[in-house]
Amino acid sequence: MNRILAISGKELRLYFLTPTSYFAFAIYILMSSFMFYVDFVTYQPSILDYRLILSDMLFMLLIVIPILTMRLISEEFRQGTDELLLTSPASVTEVVLGKYLASLGVLTMLLVCNLAYPAIMSLFGDLNLMTLWLSVLGVFLMGASMMAIGLFASSLSQHQMVSAVAGFVLLLMFWLAGSMTSQSEKLSAWIEPFSLPDRISNLTKGVVNGPDVIFYVSLAALFVVLSIQVIERKRWR
Amino acid sequence: MLEVKRVSKRYDGGRGVREIDFSMQRGEIVGFLGPNGAGKTTTMRMITGYLYPTEGTVTVDGLSVHEEARKARSKIGYLPETPPLYPDLTVEAYLKFVAKLRGVPAREQKLRTAEMVARLGLGGRERQSIRHLSKGYKQRLGLAQAIIHKPDLLVLDEPTSGLDPSQIIEIRSLIRELGENHTVLLSTHILQEVGALCDRLLIINRGELVMDGAPDEIGARMENRFAVTLEVYGQRERIESVLGGWAGSRGITAEIRGVPEPKGQTSEMEPLESEQSKNQQSDNERTLAGNGPDAAAASHEPLAQTEPFVETEPVAAPPQSLDLFASSSEAVRALLTADGQEDFRLELFRLLAEADLPILELHKENPTLEDVFLKLTTEDRADGLVDKDGLGTDGGVRVETGTGSGEERA
Repeated sequence: MNRILAISGKELRLYFLTPTSYFAFAIYILMSSFMFYVDFVTYQPSILDYRLILSDMLFMLLIVIPILTMRLISEEFRQGTDELLLTSPASVTEVVLGKYLASLGVLTMLLVCNLAYPAIMSLFGDLNLMTLWLSVLGVFLMGASMMAIGLFASSLSQHQMVSAVAGFVLLLMFWLAGSMTSQSEKLSAWIEPFSLPDRISNLTKGVVNGPDVIFYVSLAALFVVLSIQVIERKRWR
Repeated sequence: MLEVKRVSKRYDGGRGVREIDFSMQRGEIVGFLGPNGAGKTTTMRMITGYLYPTEGTVTVDGLSVHEEARKARSKIGYLPETPPLYPDLTVEAYLKFVAKLRGVPAREQKLRTAEMVARLGLGGRERQSIRHLSKGYKQRLGLAQAIIHKPDLLVLDEPTSGLDPSQIIEIRSLIRELGENHTVLLSTHILQEVGALCDRLLIINRGELVMDGAPDEIGARMENRFAVTLEVYGQRERIESVLGGWAGSRGITAEIRGVPEPKGQTSEMEPLESEQSKNQQSDNERTLAGNGPDAAAASHEPLAQTEPFVETEPVAAPPQSLDLFASSSEAVRALLTADGQEDFRLELFRLLAEADLPILELHKENPTLEDVFLKLTTEDRADGLVDKDGLGTDGGVRVETGTGSGEERA
């Protein structure tokens, strides 16, 4: 556990020392506040509901998360620091979990930034706190699974740009899983359950649906395990 | 301490390392030598647990590096070829991170970090970001991360590459210091480094261990001959006849090299033998420099012109009284070579003493590391050609290399 914390501590520190993460945060805040302005201020009459702006926020995650996760493992390979991590007493699982934990920390920060908007809304009236907090939980779960996908993409290449693009493509596939397959009923029945944004709708309605939560958690677990396997595999070659 | 048992790593196309087998005792400094691409780094990566071997086991204090990874790896410190540094972190933050990662107890982390900073001369740079450190400081920091958890075994991959001479000297003295209470395995392709640092030498060539031994004994094992250089004071003709006679009767090749004659007299058609010996001597002078008092003497000697002299008929030497100040007397250098390992120096001394020819210098010639290294690594090129012909990419057809490899695998 200490080693996991050591690694996630290092990753968080590096997040604050590299310009890319500031860039990602800047994009996120700029775009989401712009959307908030469009959704809340220019759209009249204003509706005091967090969910109204949520869908735009979620879409922003699709762009920001690959930027935030691309360096996690790629950079270790490129700098040769993987030799330090993999020859240390820490196991690959600990290394990857440490990194994943750091990415969850960053996700939490993004969400905290995002809470500014409901805070502004609450100045104008009462928000339904139940749906607010469940929506936040939903975004966190979805973001967590997206972070895991980004982490996996980062383990595939030692070039950050390749990782970012791979992560984006993977996320896009999960994102569009719900809307892509309108032609064939049978196919869409198989693919739709894997859609990332569809699974969040129950939570935003204030319903905690077990399968939805399990879907996000297991998707995250799957990609964390895949990342571990990709790194382990490099040692055998 | 460290046991590497029949470790192989195969890559596509028959590259990789084959059945590396050696062990190291506590407190040894072992040099790992080989041409580029011979498999030094691959072997070191397997020892440190970064790569898994295709076959074979690596154990440190009886713990397998790959199966009991956590325990075994905390006993190893590793400095890869490029020091594994995070350019964005500061020196202090980096060392703290490594200390945590390597399981240094929380109470000691601060102390250990400070100790490393002081020991490796990084004082005043703790808060500097690693990106802005010079190459030498980066290398020191790399060493610091390797020793911060006080490992039993230290594995260093080319610790002095890319450093300037004064930094090389610093790092070397540091390694020597570390060698007092750690076991050190270091790879290098600088031959002097091995002579300067190591108790033992491993030479790897095209993925196979071809030599294992102390630097000075390796030469003797490589070539079955006994060679002595000699400097005698006296009249040249007399020395030639005395030495030549004795050598002829003993089956020793004597090669008299004149004292400095006027330059420019070099004969156009120098025999091959003298060419070789000349090279040998110059090699010798190069590698021995700084290795002891006799080395200094050797390097002060101007390179004598060589004139092979192989006499077969014994000539009775008329006893003559020696006059040190006679104008006809001079210092004559000779190289005496015999097959086998028999030491004829005593006999030689008596012979010359009886003939009243004072010995100014007598020195046993060892084949230099360079000779050994070149011999071991060039033999292998023929091997490479065989591979290219597609006859044996898996080592099915192999030209048996040197005597060493046979011994090692026995």
